[in-house]
Amino acid sequence: MNDDYLWDKTGQPDPQIQQLEEILGTLRYQPKPLAIPDDLRPPQRRNYFPMLAIAASVLLALLAGGIWLRVRSRTEAPVTQARVEQPTPAPQPAENKSAINPPVLATNRIHRKRSALSVLPKRERQEALEAKEQLMLALRLTTQKLHLVHTKTQSTPPANQIKNQHRIG
Amino acid sequence: MKTLFHINIRTALILLLLFAPSMVAKAQDSRIQMGGLDHLAAKASQTVDVNIDERLMRMAAKLFSDKDEDEREVKALIANLKGIYVKSFEFDVAGQYVAADVETIRTQLRAPGWTRLVNVTSKKEGMLEVYLLFNGDKVGGLAVLHTDDKEFTVVNIVGPVDLDKLAKLEGQLGVPDLGIEPQKPKAKNDDEK
Repeated sequence: MNDDYLWDKTGQPDPQIQQLEEILGTLRYQPKPLAIPDDLRPPQRRNYFPMLAIAASVLLALLAGGIWLRVRSRTEAPVTQARVEQPTPAPQPAENKSAINPPVLATNRIHRKRSALSVLPKRERQEALEAKEQLMLALRLTTQKLHLVHTKTQSTPPANQIKNQHRIG
Repeated sequence: MKTLFHINIRTALILLLLFAPSMVAKAQDSRIQMGGLDHLAAKASQTVDVNIDERLMRMAAKLFSDKDEDEREVKALIANLKGIYVKSFEFDVAGQYVAADVETIRTQLRAPGWTRLVNVTSKKEGMLEVYLLFNGDKVGGLAVLHTDDKEFTVVNIVGPVDLDKLAKLEGQLGVPDLGIEPQKPKAKNDDEK
């Protein structure tokens, strides 16, 4: 017996080796495609580019809108007007009234409130402007009435005033 | 019977706890109810309706600049006020409101605490009344009532009105400065006409 069979399968094989070959032959490598279970597959790489592009576009639009609003608010100050209801066409006021009472319609152009206004939200800002206008109207009316009271109390002659008095000397 | 008595007492206590604060608040409130005058708006040729509560007052105060002297004074005046309410009606023809309309306001001004400081009556300007609400020595509110043939105006300032500051506003809000000096309440009572 030579050992060539073990090296290159030539020569006379040993029966025990042949038996071993037959037993172990069932476990011989047989080429077949690799089968990977579904649960072991690596996740597919997502493409985030469209989402990022949309987000960037929205962000840019918001930024541009903000800048535009800021520039616009700087160039033109808001004009506010007090609420004065006039159900019928305004009548010609009496002369004495017009002399004492200036028209209650009040317009005001705000120039110096930018810092305070810019802090407030738009709706609140509008509300605050209207409130301020109404407040000024109310104060104006109040001081007007107090002024009227003052002039009336000052113009009332004292009870014991001597009329037709002349300075002597 | 005893249980019923206990239930009644408990109910009364709960009701007292619920309503007592509002009753006290109402007694000290210088707000005048002017809702009864709303029907005059339909007859008026011009109506001014101002309703500024404390929240709006605070919002408006933010818009007054500290740099401008006039605005600083207005801001100081309204700093502690709780509200300003005005109803002013001007009519084309006389006799559009009745005495009962005036009485709805005047009745409220007869409540405890209110003092009529000035009452001016003239043929030309009608009747002008100025009332102050005193909480102790402090002023808690101001009311001005002006009625003539073709006008009905009620002004109500709620809160501690500083008459000094209010007088200072004269000449700054479109009214010529004619030198209204703030008067002490006692002195004003003497001036009452």
